[in-house]
Amino acid sequence: MEHRYDIVIVGAGGGGMFAALEAVRTNPRVSVAVISKVYPTRSHTSAAQGGVNAALGNKDRDDTVELHVFDTVKGSDYLADQDAVDYLCGQAPSVVRELENLGAPFSRFADGTIAQRPFGGTVKDRCCYCADKTGHTLLHTLFEQCLRRGVTFFNEYFLLSLEHADGDCQGVITLNMATSAIETFVAPVVILATGGHAKMYWNRSSNAAGNTGDGQAAALRAGIPLKDMEFIQFHPTGLRKSGLLVTEGARGEGGYLLNRHGERFMARYAPQKMELGPRDLVARSMETEIIEGNGFESDAGSYIELDLRHLGAEAIKKKLPQIRELSMHFEGVDPIEEPIPVRPTAHYSMGGIDATMARTAIRGVYAVGECACVSVHGANRLGGNSLLDILVFGKRAGQEAALEAPERKAHGITPPAVRRAADEIRSYANHERYERYGIIREEMGKAMGDNVGIYRVEERLRTGVDEIHALRERFRRIRLFDTGTVYNTNLIQILELKNMLDLALCVAVTALERQESRGSHYREDFPRRDDGAWHRHSLCTMGSDGEVSLGHKAVTMGKYSLETRSY
Amino acid sequence: MERREVSFRIQRYNPQVDRAPFYDNFRIAVEKGITILRALNYIKEHLEPRLTFRAFCQAGICGSCAIRINGVSRLACTTQVWDVLTGGGDDPILIEPLDNLEVIRDLVVDIDPIMEKLKRNQSWVKPAIPEEELGRKEHIVSDEQFETINAASDCILCGSCYSECSMMQVNRDYISPPVLLKAFRMNNDTRDTLGCQRLREVTTDNGLWDCAHCYKCMEHCTKKIPIMDGIHHLREEAFARGMTHTEGARHAQAFFDDIRDIGRLKEVTLPLRTKGVLGSLGMVPLAIKMGLKGRKPPLLVKRIPDIERVRDIYDRLEADRGGEVVGAIHELPLRSAPRSGGCL
Repeated sequence: MEHRYDIVIVGAGGGGMFAALEAVRTNPRVSVAVISKVYPTRSHTSAAQGGVNAALGNKDRDDTVELHVFDTVKGSDYLADQDAVDYLCGQAPSVVRELENLGAPFSRFADGTIAQRPFGGTVKDRCCYCADKTGHTLLHTLFEQCLRRGVTFFNEYFLLSLEHADGDCQGVITLNMATSAIETFVAPVVILATGGHAKMYWNRSSNAAGNTGDGQAAALRAGIPLKDMEFIQFHPTGLRKSGLLVTEGARGEGGYLLNRHGERFMARYAPQKMELGPRDLVARSMETEIIEGNGFESDAGSYIELDLRHLGAEAIKKKLPQIRELSMHFEGVDPIEEPIPVRPTAHYSMGGIDATMARTAIRGVYAVGECACVSVHGANRLGGNSLLDILVFGKRAGQEAALEAPERKAHGITPPAVRRAADEIRSYANHERYERYGIIREEMGKAMGDNVGIYRVEERLRTGVDEIHALRERFRRIRLFDTGTVYNTNLIQILELKNMLDLALCVAVTALERQESRGSHYREDFPRRDDGAWHRHSLCTMGSDGEVSLGHKAVTMGKYSLETRSY
Repeated sequence: MERREVSFRIQRYNPQVDRAPFYDNFRIAVEKGITILRALNYIKEHLEPRLTFRAFCQAGICGSCAIRINGVSRLACTTQVWDVLTGGGDDPILIEPLDNLEVIRDLVVDIDPIMEKLKRNQSWVKPAIPEEELGRKEHIVSDEQFETINAASDCILCGSCYSECSMMQVNRDYISPPVLLKAFRMNNDTRDTLGCQRLREVTTDNGLWDCAHCYKCMEHCTKKIPIMDGIHHLREEAFARGMTHTEGARHAQAFFDDIRDIGRLKEVTLPLRTKGVLGSLGMVPLAIKMGLKGRKPPLLVKRIPDIERVRDIYDRLEADRGGEVVGAIHELPLRSAPRSGGCL
């Protein structure tokens, strides 16, 4: 089956839906379709708890866009492209107000303005929030507005490939999950908004099961480079047993991190900002405490305590209700009574599809949000900047796409491309195959967690690269046991695993390559930042043989020049 | 770590091969603290790769994994195996798809009807601000106004209330609890301008007045939202806005009047007061059928002896108008913003 649209958006999280809204608003004559492997309100935007940064000045009257830019650039360890950061922070107040105007329920100050709370790595309190469900409410608001505008959704469609002819976008090939039919969407403009890929750390990740980097993998195979893939953010406060997230807002509201001696150890690592240091620094400090034997011990591994008790029952119930619920569900701990057991968990992928102000190397293809690397987060993202990223660049891509689409033409997707996709899917059911999905996926999570984690060193990184290579080899013999065509989740698991393995290789290879420590990427054998050799973006491309080759790209500088980063 | 063998009795159905749903049993060793979702994942990865269910965030916020566990709609990812063991842990845990929705395969149901109803009932805010001025300045919203819609905006559209709803059991066209909750949330948002229009849509046939007050939506809400409070407030709003001419409103008014006046219902004239003369004619065949089966409403209904005590209840409720719904079982009862004025 073939569909034809002017603009096809892949992914129905905050970035994809804002792009869709903006496209139909900018040019009501363009036809827009949003394709998503989950129903829109299931998207991982819903899991963003803490908030969205914007220099509204409701709390700190003297906050400015410039200060937000500075915090973001410093937070990125100077790897962010400053023109993109200028745009991100400059647009922040108006996109946040726009979402508010459209019904997003923000928490309020006594004067009725949007409430703002402190967040990690910032000099002013500028994180706008709705209790601890900010992402959830923004996602639902955008979904509601898409319903209002009559946006066309194709729910539960899985992206198989991105198609182009000599660098001109032709559309995408997808799998209709309900029927397993291959359906093509011919479109001169495609916006990829497929979310992050930190689920490759599997049990050591806060991510949803589907954060498997489908858009990144499709872009990589279509020839678009991936940028800065070595930078994976480990969030300091994942729940001990499940890796599920406890928002930075918990520390923003005044929570303490304690080791088993009852010490607020952050005083030794970030004397000024304490628990509100940037995420890379806090996560590393916690890991160091655990390695040095200062953590708490349990059957479910070593951990650090996040103590909220001194905030009082009322503040916890009002400002952190979800956190209380999660702690009770998954750790059996009520934070009003007891500290929460936490440890760092893989959380966010700073790297992704190489994009310049959302445009990629294929004409007509845009990438926004966590799947993209614009790059506004550089080597480390600040809390509250990811929701902002999807809103600002989702909106921009939607606008530009609506203007560009009428100028471009897609000829179509070639029958051989469709045949290749169908053959690949059929081949998984081949009786000679025997490798099991669950086992390869488990080993991938372990290989990444053990070797490409918070602390990295050449020897382990080489092991990681070798193990991922070996797993990709085994994947060639993976067996699809469910051969039905109705809602075949076994098939989706295999397709997602293939994407994660390709991206894991990119992460491991670039982590091995970068011989310095910057932001989230910490090399025990190269503990210093080395601007002379490594102040540059890394690029990954994949040949038709499936091998990764590396390149690099200059960082766009601006007002702020390189400085030592301390908090 | 405590560990035990647990049986799962799971409803299976693949329309391609099965003529009807059937049950499959799986017995696995489970650790204490494991969720139903982890158990389902284990079964899929180790025993039956064809077992089909939805799951995404694993943290109770995306709403994908709602299913029925021992007959009750819940999220698989936030339900612990230990909490649903019965018979000293020897009974199998019954796992079934959500009710009131078509099964696509095994535990996966088609949720498009919910999306369609959200759309039909204008489940969105339409602000007064013109399009070109969006993003220029904030609305000023008091903390109290925010709190009015705060609990209702917790809804994750998991479908549990839709599955539990008694009215949905008999009428798939019924508007359904999550859509009514959205209507409450939007109509109490001070930034919205669609109140009257939305309420008019919500009070049409199969709408607001069809709710049977069974409270199951609220009892089983996975986010503990007092949905029924929202439904009550919408009904009050319909009256406050003068939308008293629909059958549902007239029916409610007739109940209200009878109980106040004589302490019991005058069933004989109820159809006349609800449906009017012409509408009641349509009820005649039903009345004859009921009569033949011996179901005859009493023609003369006498006032109850202690009618003053009933009136006292009315007075007290009148004095407390706009306050919390009496008997709310949740920590955060839904309050309604005071509404006045009719709709053009």
